[in-house]
This record gives sequence, structure tokens and C-alpha cells, in this order.
Amino acid sequence: MLYGYLSMKPVSIFPTSEESVLVTWPEKVCPVQHQLIISTEKLITSQHDDVIFESIVSYNSMILYYHFQHISYPQLQQHILASIHQAEINAQIEKATQKTVDIPVYYGDEVAWDLAEVAKQCKISIEEVVCLHSQRTYRAYALGFTPGFCYLGSLDKKLRLSRKSTPRVAVPKGAVAIADQQTAIYPNISPGGWHIIGQTPIEMFQKNETSFQPKLSLGQQIKFIPINKQTYIELTEANNKGCQK
Amino acid sequence: MSYLTITKLNGHASIQDLGRKSAQHLGFSASGAADEYSYLLANQLLNNDPSAPALEVTLGQFSLTATDTCHMVITGADCQAFIVSEKKTPLNVPNNQVFTLTKGHELHLLMPKKQLHSYIAIAGGFLTKRWLNSASQTTTELPLGFGEKKLAIGQQLCFSTVEQSSAFQSKNQPPHYFHQDEQLALRFLPSAFWQKYTLEKQQQLLTQKYQITPKSNRMGYRLSGKSLHFHDKYSLLSKPVNYGAIQLPDDGQIIILMKERQTIGGYPVLGTVIQTDLYRLSQKRPGEYVNFVAVTLEQAQAQLLAFKTKFAS
Repeated sequence: MLYGYLSMKPVSIFPTSEESVLVTWPEKVCPVQHQLIISTEKLITSQHDDVIFESIVSYNSMILYYHFQHISYPQLQQHILASIHQAEINAQIEKATQKTVDIPVYYGDEVAWDLAEVAKQCKISIEEVVCLHSQRTYRAYALGFTPGFCYLGSLDKKLRLSRKSTPRVAVPKGAVAIADQQTAIYPNISPGGWHIIGQTPIEMFQKNETSFQPKLSLGQQIKFIPINKQTYIELTEANNKGCQK
Repeated sequence: MSYLTITKLNGHASIQDLGRKSAQHLGFSASGAADEYSYLLANQLLNNDPSAPALEVTLGQFSLTATDTCHMVITGADCQAFIVSEKKTPLNVPNNQVFTLTKGHELHLLMPKKQLHSYIAIAGGFLTKRWLNSASQTTTELPLGFGEKKLAIGQQLCFSTVEQSSAFQSKNQPPHYFHQDEQLALRFLPSAFWQKYTLEKQQQLLTQKYQITPKSNRMGYRLSGKSLHFHDKYSLLSKPVNYGAIQLPDDGQIIILMKERQTIGGYPVLGTVIQTDLYRLSQKRPGEYVNFVAVTLEQAQAQLLAFKTKFAS
């Protein structure tokens, strides 16, 4: 167990394979800590892009993949500590100035397959579920599971349910779902065990022959905007036209 | 353009290279050849670039024909391959030896008696679509429509005619005994979580053997054995996961993450199997047994370095 210089909070740095190291911060979902992890990741990957070839950030952790032939593990450990230290100093100066991304969501029962069941299990009305889900601003904590899928947190305590006991074989593209303290949008049709409470008509990623650009990036603020059926249909049509171009 | 046409496909086949390692932060599986040893050997025998795309065929039962004469090699699981031409008797094609497939002749792979994956490589590599710096196909990502489409009968796989010079100098070597028939000892790097437990508790993993279950594939290997219970009250949030991570779900039965793993996972991780043993594991079939042996980071890195040195071009 190693310690960050300023905060004195325990940060664990541990090898997870021949060529990767997992850095873990205290076990909590916290925007300030998450921002520190993102800053640390940006610092170390930009300063050591000759030896680090991939990095993934999650809620309270970061994995770095490195060329072990070119840098020893103890050396890398020193670089990580220095980056955490620098990120902590920078955090005191920086002010996050990110604009909020709005995601339009249609909460109608023909697309919100589990909305009634969620309301029943949470012992609140359907309207309250929609209200509790859409009034919060969420943070993008991790990208993963499937390309373009982004874990958003944190959900109102009243909406926290464990995953469905049997996952669905196919969750539709654009499904807005909840599980535990998280909410997310399925960017494409895929299997999934989360509770579906709505549908967004917008694309969650842009792609072409050489690149892949997710709609949401780590650390971003996200808000769900309830829309009515008419708007949902119009946006879906506009989106389909956009895709055909 | 010269190409091969798939004429038979009964099992699973895909295009693979060394994988998409630097797109995991976007949620893409790293993917790549399941048995990196046999894949790299195939390219080395053909003097190819180490990351030239090859075909990974699982459990054989695969055939193809060529529009132009080309040099190829088959490595990995031995499918008793042979070439059929109109007039002559079938010609046997031994594994790990470069051969020439003449225009119009058909190459057949039977079901292998041992192991799972065979690699069919061609001089110069297949000229397939690449996506985020790799030609590797991932089953769960095929519906997204990136890169080459799912392989099927009738599909054409392009290759460079220029690479098929008649004066091809093969680097045929005596076979190496990388894969062994007996029970595989999986060397692993213990996790921080594992090290919180007493030696007595750790012995539960180290002293028993595990059977590979039929629910094993390119994504993960599920093992069956006496249930292990390492309760993790320290780590509840999903974290990035590695190739070879030894996951322990609530049912106490181990899952080892393989090439087509997801990028983030929530199960407790006991450690990570070293890469060279994962290539060996990828060729093991359901029903076969494995056991675990802890190693240090230095030992793990030394093994991988030796492996990489063998295949450095």
C-alpha cells in the first residue's frame, strides 16, 4: 500500500500482469476522487507515451499497460506516484468547466419495458421514477462493457435495484437502463441485465473507417431530458436521415 | 485481386492478429489470436510480419480454394490437412511446414484429435479490413459492423500475388514442444486481494485441480472444482480487467478471462495467469485438468520476454 503525498489517502499500486499495473483509490464513487484519477491518467500517459500503450479508468481505479522491456516496474511505480502528486497539486488550482451533455429520453411504456416493475419494486409511482431519474446530473465514470457504453453515477438511493436475475438476450439500441447506483444507455443491441426505463433516439457514438468517437467521455456531466412521443418520433426520424447521409 | 474462397465452415473461424490492445479504453475487446504461439509461428515460418492477419479455425472442418497459386502454412491443432486436385490422389499437408496451394485446388482440414485452434496463414498475410489498428474479429462486436464481416461459406479472402514468388525460401524448423498433453500448471501472478488472505486460505486454490467446463470459449474459460470462497468486502466497484484474470463469482467457480474478454469487470480477482500459459490453456479442451502455481512478477516477465525474443523478427 502506498500513499499519495498530499492527501495521505491510501492509493494501492499493484502489478496485474507482466505488462500492466492497477492503481486503486479508496472504494467510493466520488466526483472529486474520480477527477483526480482522470488527471493522473492524463499526466502519466502524456509524459510517458513511449512506454505506456493503453490506459483504462473506472470508478476508483486505473489500469496502465506498459512495455515491460523498456521500463522496470519500480521505475513505473515512481512515475505513477509523481503523477498522482502532480494531479493533486493541479486539482487545487483547476476548476472543472465542462458543459453538461443533454440526452433526450422517452419514458413511454412501449419502450420502457421495466418501468412499471421498477416503480413497483421501489414502492413509488412511475412519474416519480421518471422524475428522480431525470432531475439529477450524472457523471461519466467508466467506458466499457461494449463500445460506447458509459457507466453513469450516481442514481438516487430510492431507485437502486440489483440487476435482473436473468439477463435479457437482447436489449434494444438506445435503451436507457438502471442497476445498483448506476444508469447507462445501451449504444447498440446487446445482451444486458439492467432495468430498462426509457429510450433515447440519439446515437451514442460516431464512427467511420478509421475512428470511433463515443458521445460521452469520462468525467463529463450528463442530464436526461424527458421528451414526449411526438418529439421522440421526430428525433428518431431526424437521426435515421442523418445516418443515411 | 487474388483470393481464397471458403468452401466449408462447420465450426468457428475468424480472422485474427495480435489484437486491438489500445482500444480497450473505448470499450473494445482486445481480442486477438487465442493461441499466440501457433499464430506467431505461422507468420514466422512464412517470413511474414509478426502481426500479419491469419485465419483461426476452431475444431477444423474447414475447406478453401485459391484463385491463384499461393504459399501457406497451418499451425496449432493438427487437422490432418490435405489438398485435393482433380486428377491426383490427395496430398497430405503436415502442420508447421510451408506448402503451395495451386490455383483451383482445394485445401481440407478435418476435425483435430487434440487441441482446438488451427492457424492458416498465407505469405504476406491476408489483405483484410482493419479496424482501430487490428484485423482481429470479436464475436460480440461483429453486429456493430466494424472491420471484416463474419466468415461464411463463399466468402473471399484477398491476398497479395506479389508475395507468392516461386523462389519462396521457407524457414521450416523442427517442431517445438510448446504445448504439452499432460495437466497444465497455470502459473499466476497473485492479486492484492489474494495477498490479504492467510496461507491456509490460499492453499484452497493451490492444492486442488480444476476441470475445464464446456462453457469455455474465446471470451473466458470456466473451471469446475471445489467451491472457493474469498469474500471481497474491499472491492465492490467495477475495475479494468486483464487477459488471464482469475475471477471468482459468488458461486465459487473460477473464470479465467481470455482474448475476447470485456474491458471492465466486477468480480473479485485472485490473480492473473501468465500470458505464455494462457496460450497453452487456449488449446485445452473441456474435460481436461489444470492447477495453479503462484509466481513473482520477475518470473512472469522473464517468461514473456523469452517468448517475445523467440518471435522477434
